[in-house]
Amino acid sequence: MNTHARIPASDAALTALGKGPVPTAPYHDPAWFELEREAIFKRTWLQVGHVCELPEPNSYIAREIEVARASVIIARGKDGTIRAFHNACTHRGTQLVQGQCSGKGATFRCPYHMWTFGTDGRLLSAPDFESFHLANKAQADLRPVSVDVCAGLIFINLDPAPAQSLREFLGPMGEMAQTLPVAGATTFDEYVYEIDANWKVTFDNFQENYHLRFVHRRTNGAPPLDSTPNPYNYPECYYLFGPHRMNTSPGGAPPDDKPKPLAFYLLGKLAEQVKADGQAGGPHERDYFIFFPNLYLFGNPRMHFTHVVMPISANRSRGVFRFYWTGEDRTATEQLVREFSMAFAREIHTEDVEPLIAAQKGLDSGALEHVHFQRQEVMCRHLYEATVAAVRDWQAEQAGAAS
Amino acid sequence: MSNATTLPAGFAALEAFVPFWAAGTLAGRDAARLNSTPEERQRFYTVAGELAPAAMDYLDARELASFTPPERTLMNLMLSLAHVALAVELQGDDEAIHAFGARRMPIVRGHADPAVA
Repeated sequence: MNTHARIPASDAALTALGKGPVPTAPYHDPAWFELEREAIFKRTWLQVGHVCELPEPNSYIAREIEVARASVIIARGKDGTIRAFHNACTHRGTQLVQGQCSGKGATFRCPYHMWTFGTDGRLLSAPDFESFHLANKAQADLRPVSVDVCAGLIFINLDPAPAQSLREFLGPMGEMAQTLPVAGATTFDEYVYEIDANWKVTFDNFQENYHLRFVHRRTNGAPPLDSTPNPYNYPECYYLFGPHRMNTSPGGAPPDDKPKPLAFYLLGKLAEQVKADGQAGGPHERDYFIFFPNLYLFGNPRMHFTHVVMPISANRSRGVFRFYWTGEDRTATEQLVREFSMAFAREIHTEDVEPLIAAQKGLDSGALEHVHFQRQEVMCRHLYEATVAAVRDWQAEQAGAAS
Repeated sequence: MSNATTLPAGFAALEAFVPFWAAGTLAGRDAARLNSTPEERQRFYTVAGELAPAAMDYLDARELASFTPPERTLMNLMLSLAHVALAVELQGDDEAIHAFGARRMPIVRGHADPAVA
């Protein structure tokens, strides 16, 4: 697989990455999903939160990672260090906190027999502990999960011994991401969805611009983010960084005749705000960062969002969009344009849901052996290749271990 | 309709819109949009849109963090107007289609919501 390659959209190198049809099984087959569960989601760095959710010692969040059958607590200890643990009391497995949640507290107390753990994962107390056949409490500390932070984003890895550090895994795109506003964000807006579609079917929709002029007919006539003329917002170039990828899209939209005085007014105010904050014209404001396996990050400070697509089953997934902001709203106008920016993007994203459900139904029917990606859908092809490579690597390791 | 004034002086024309549109949370403002009729949206869009520049000038001249209740109510109306602008200016007759998709993609957190801020 190409690494660290910058590929102009017009370059024949896009075709050189592959042009053959792609098998459909990875997009609907439960058996393949089981392979992805083991080969990818139980041993790859997954983005699950942001440091602004852990603003002070004893803050914590909990995340359900269904695809890995895991529940994880991420907590900032009294010493300020962020740690992660399996959400399972070491006594008899009971979950310490329920579901996706956040909060603050110096301890986690099991509701079953009151075993109590610190935010550093240490077992602090257990009724009748002397009656257990354990040499000391340290033997019953919470089971740790690898956790690290890049660009303010919290990643976990459920592999007890990750093959790479987070920084090694993210590579140069991780370094670039650290220059983005998300690295210093202090708050966010969030909208979510669950959809009857494989995680790659869902994810692929957001890494190609081919569909924009068809699916987004209603919002494609929206005021452009800037004056760059590009009728269909086709990417200008692509970058591949190992299993990760990025494209640069102009961000234009075709003019139409419908008057949009308020939207223009609000977008103008938003642009003024970004310029006043010195965030306009950054090197990545048109870059769409896509980290393997399932994280998007749009570099534009006017619509600075992440989108994670978490698998639930072979044909169901959950998406989480987050719009990150730095600092409290300073003025009424700033509050207004931040809310408008988020609402404007959601306006577009809501249009994607129905076509994805329809695509999954067609794939689930088993009628097709292959799908086809055109040159402009090279990032979909790249995700497929990265996924297959991860599965093949895991299978080879399993075979080696068994022999 | 109540005669009580819940908005700063000069914005009485918006009083009738307060009960429905001045929701205090991002999700609440989105719900107001999704639950409104085309006539309700158009009426609010027309009246509030005309007053928006004056309202924002008025609000920008004050400390956001220490808004009085009437100022906060006016702010919430302006935030709802941002959503309604999308409904009226972008969606038009297709707003019902948008609403169907939007209900499948609920807003679960607004950075300026009272419980978050």
